[in-house]
Amino acid sequence: MKRLYLFSAMLLLGFVSVFAQGGGELRFCLRSEPKTFNPLLVEDEASETIRYLTGGVLVRVNRISLKAEPNLATSWKVSEGGKRIRFKLREGLKYSDGTPFSASDVAYTMQQLMDPGLHSSTGDAFRSAEGKLVTQVISANEIEINFPAPVANLVNLFDTVAILSATSPQKEMAALGPFYVAERKAGSYIQLKRNPYYWKKDAAGKQLPYLDSIRLDIEQNPEIEAMRYKRGEVHLINTVSPAIFEKLSADNASVRDAGASTDTEQLWFNQVPGSPLPAYKKAWFISTNFRRAVSEAINRSDLARIVYRGHAVPAIGIISPSNRFWFNGSLKPHAYDTSSALRRLQEDGFQLQGDTLKDKAGNVVEFSIATNAGNRARESMATMIQQDLKKIGIKVNVVTLDFNSLLERMTQSYNYEACLLGFQNVELDPNSQMAVWLSSADNHQWNPSQKAPATQWEAEIDKLMRAQAASGDEHKRKQYWDRVQQIAWEQEPFIYLINKDALVAIAPAVKNAEPSVFRPQTFWNVETLALAH
Amino acid sequence: MLRFWSGAVLRLVAVMLMASFAGAMLMRIAPGFSSDGQELNSGLSTQSLEAIRRAHLSDANVPRFYAQYLASFVRGDLGTSRSLNQPVKDLLRERLPITLINLAFALAAGWLLGLALAIAAQMWNIPALSLLANGLSGTFISTPAAAMALIFLLLRWPPAFAAALLVFPKIYRYAQNLLQQSSEMPHVLTARAKGAGPWRVLAWHVAPIALPQMIALVGVSISIGIGVLLPIEVVSDVAGIGQLAWHAAQARDLPLLVNLTMVVTFMTVCATLISDVAQRSFVRSDA
Amino acid sequence: MKAVRVVAIAVLALTALTILGAHYLAPAGYEQQFRETPQASPSIHHLLGTDDLGRDRWSRLLYGMRVSLVLAPLAALFTTVLAGVVGGIAGYFGGWTERGCKLLIDLFLSVPWLFLLITVRAVLPLNVSPEASVTVTFALLGLLGWAASARVICAGAKDLMKSEFVWMARASGFSGFKLIRLHLLPNLRGSLLAQFWISIPVFIIAEANLGALGLGVAEPLPSLGSLLRELQDAVMLRPEPWRLLPLAVLIVVISSFQVLLNKQEVRT
Repeated sequence: MKRLYLFSAMLLLGFVSVFAQGGGELRFCLRSEPKTFNPLLVEDEASETIRYLTGGVLVRVNRISLKAEPNLATSWKVSEGGKRIRFKLREGLKYSDGTPFSASDVAYTMQQLMDPGLHSSTGDAFRSAEGKLVTQVISANEIEINFPAPVANLVNLFDTVAILSATSPQKEMAALGPFYVAERKAGSYIQLKRNPYYWKKDAAGKQLPYLDSIRLDIEQNPEIEAMRYKRGEVHLINTVSPAIFEKLSADNASVRDAGASTDTEQLWFNQVPGSPLPAYKKAWFISTNFRRAVSEAINRSDLARIVYRGHAVPAIGIISPSNRFWFNGSLKPHAYDTSSALRRLQEDGFQLQGDTLKDKAGNVVEFSIATNAGNRARESMATMIQQDLKKIGIKVNVVTLDFNSLLERMTQSYNYEACLLGFQNVELDPNSQMAVWLSSADNHQWNPSQKAPATQWEAEIDKLMRAQAASGDEHKRKQYWDRVQQIAWEQEPFIYLINKDALVAIAPAVKNAEPSVFRPQTFWNVETLALAH
Repeated sequence: MLRFWSGAVLRLVAVMLMASFAGAMLMRIAPGFSSDGQELNSGLSTQSLEAIRRAHLSDANVPRFYAQYLASFVRGDLGTSRSLNQPVKDLLRERLPITLINLAFALAAGWLLGLALAIAAQMWNIPALSLLANGLSGTFISTPAAAMALIFLLLRWPPAFAAALLVFPKIYRYAQNLLQQSSEMPHVLTARAKGAGPWRVLAWHVAPIALPQMIALVGVSISIGIGVLLPIEVVSDVAGIGQLAWHAAQARDLPLLVNLTMVVTFMTVCATLISDVAQRSFVRSDA
Repeated sequence: MKAVRVVAIAVLALTALTILGAHYLAPAGYEQQFRETPQASPSIHHLLGTDDLGRDRWSRLLYGMRVSLVLAPLAALFTTVLAGVVGGIAGYFGGWTERGCKLLIDLFLSVPWLFLLITVRAVLPLNVSPEASVTVTFALLGLLGWAASARVICAGAKDLMKSEFVWMARASGFSGFKLIRLHLLPNLRGSLLAQFWISIPVFIIAEANLGALGLGVAEPLPSLGSLLRELQDAVMLRPEPWRLLPLAVLIVVISSFQVLLNKQEVRT
């Protein structure tokens, strides 16, 4: 019996050590060259990847449980409804070049971040009101940060703030994260090496990360990336298109559908009063009945089934059900019902004459849907919507434009009729959507930068968004946000189409991978990823 | 001679300046010049968005931008790419050699193959050979560059091979037509009737007539090659100037685009100048 | 070779009939989506299967041929005429005219015309019909595609100006446009025909690529170029032989054009 226990213990230890085995170089691709290595200025995905892999943050949000976990900070205390936060920091930490880490570095980083001349979304997320940030270094490992006004979702926001060294000669290249940038060939690759001073150890006391290095190749073409994955030249693909997913599956390559992501694809109509559209079209687009009718005439199930090969779900509202806490569970999917659509249109005086729908003045209902060229999924969705709306007599012209031209129409000339685009919702908290739902905001796409809310429902949304931003009570905020979702569901300024699934590819050689629907899907737990030898 | 060369240099400089300025103006007036994808970032405040728009509009006055660019150019500073945040000089230094090597290979191989097939078709008048050559050129000119590039990627062959196969049909068609037309001239018939062998007829009677146009074709081969190489570099992810040019166009990166236009113009005009010089050497004497 | 020419004529005649009779030959509308059977293999209902949105490939090929094989040769003719005119004038007049034309040609070869195309799209109404959009696209391609060939024509014309028969024609009183038209251009037909032949498939493919700028054919209207774009999928994702048929059609048509244009008058 004793021998059996001994043997089992040895087997278990051997098992653990296989998976805890260090070494090896993880390889995957970036879709573009990182624009910056300064973690405070990150706006593009490639730069965000570098930041995630090299930056040390005070708090890390676990991408599975969505809970904030201690990282450089061992504990924290939020007071005054999110106006003040005090962090207790780990002691004895060092940057990748040996420079010691202390609370002064946190103070330095926050001052840099909140510099009004910086213009970064990381900093702007903390900017709840005008005023100066005050940092107080209480000791070498304790710091208090005071904001001019309460900041919603304060703790989780620190997940994106990589702490810079105030004193390192390497400046922003000195890393506190699991890796540091060791080598870079512009346009070709970036190599990260294990941070020899990284503070974290696993449960068995082994130094993390397990990997020796990570090589990030710059690869813009997703088909080539997939080909390299099949050949074993790369270990991960963070986002796989449905077509490539099917191909890799058919070829028995390891791919996974992690479930509905938080990203949305939506259609909206131009409701800008000053747009160069004819008055009768403006009248259509501001009518709730018209928007609801169009929404009811779109077969979302077909979009999910055909365009996304079943790797998407019909969208219900502003946010995806995978955003479990904030999603309004009482909302139901919009039904696909062409009869109901026609009834709504008739209420507004539209009449179907033969195969053509006309408004009460006799104008043929015809409009264009603009989307960005090169995005096959959106082009396909627009084409399918074209056919769907044909059934209720509406003539749709699909216009694909290069992205900058489309942007110019959307944000400057307002010379478009309907637009089909998608949003990547990186942040789960509703406060991240202030710039979309406030009627005065620039990203209030259908009618941005309003001096006063154009409709009563937009005025109500303004009130609710401000209330949730000012409240420190999460449940109260949830109530406000649920109501915003309800209004958006009823009025449909955005006609939400689908939530696509997070499709990833992870080679069998990669151990401890646990793909999430939240970014970064495949390597959120990079320090515990290992390569089987 | 001095007059010719000074005129040539003047022409080169003039075309480079005009082409890059015209490119900059076209980019400026095209929609989307001051747009930035960051405008859709709901995490940015109004002030940040305004700062981004102001940064884009800093180059809005193209004549002023261009004058400043030329002043820097003379000092050896080619400016900084707005979209990649890197000095344009470094970008060109890294990427230009890659494109030049691929271009040289594509043109050399394309010309070799095209000319060889055209000469063979002309010399040996074998229907099967003619059909094969026509079939090959028809196939490759009808195949999109992107598809060709992907095929070569799958086969793990260099993308320059794909470019060569896309260049050769154009060379073949021109060469074959020119040789064909020249061989129909009366003096060629006379030479054949007098017993001249096929190689002699080709070298002494057919080729000289076709030569001026063939030399001119060499001159424009650079632009043919660049036109073929650009989509191949984009699809194959080759870090050359073709890929850079596509990126500059999409991002409306004015400093990058102006420099790239200068480079392409320089190469194009140099090639046409060289062909002009060569033509002068082969000029037919006045009757 | 005579048999080959007969085959080529037959192919082009068949193509023309197919284009004219597309409406009768197509089993379904090119826009009709059979949503229960997307990406279907060939069957009795769908001779070439269906595409990603369930549209009948055979119908889309028929209508696509109509768009591309009518407009591309017209655009090719346009560009060839432009090349002939500019090159012919440059070669005929020589001197400063030639220098000016060469400068213009070099400019045309160097300027990034992409932004002109983007601007044209911005000027066009959003609700422009797919037919109008594709016509404008091919017209633009014709307008911009002449420069390389014009240089070759210019070199040939310049050389011909020194030939004896041109001297004789001039001595006989021919000059100007008449001389260009009757004596220069016919003797430059090799280059002109090459330009014409090359332009057709190049324009067909370019039209599809211009979809990235909002030009080209708009959904749901197909073109041969837009069908050729699917080749990328065929190469990387689904190497199904029937997806290659648009390419095969283009190759056969282009080769037939080549055979007919390459009339051999002299035989040894």
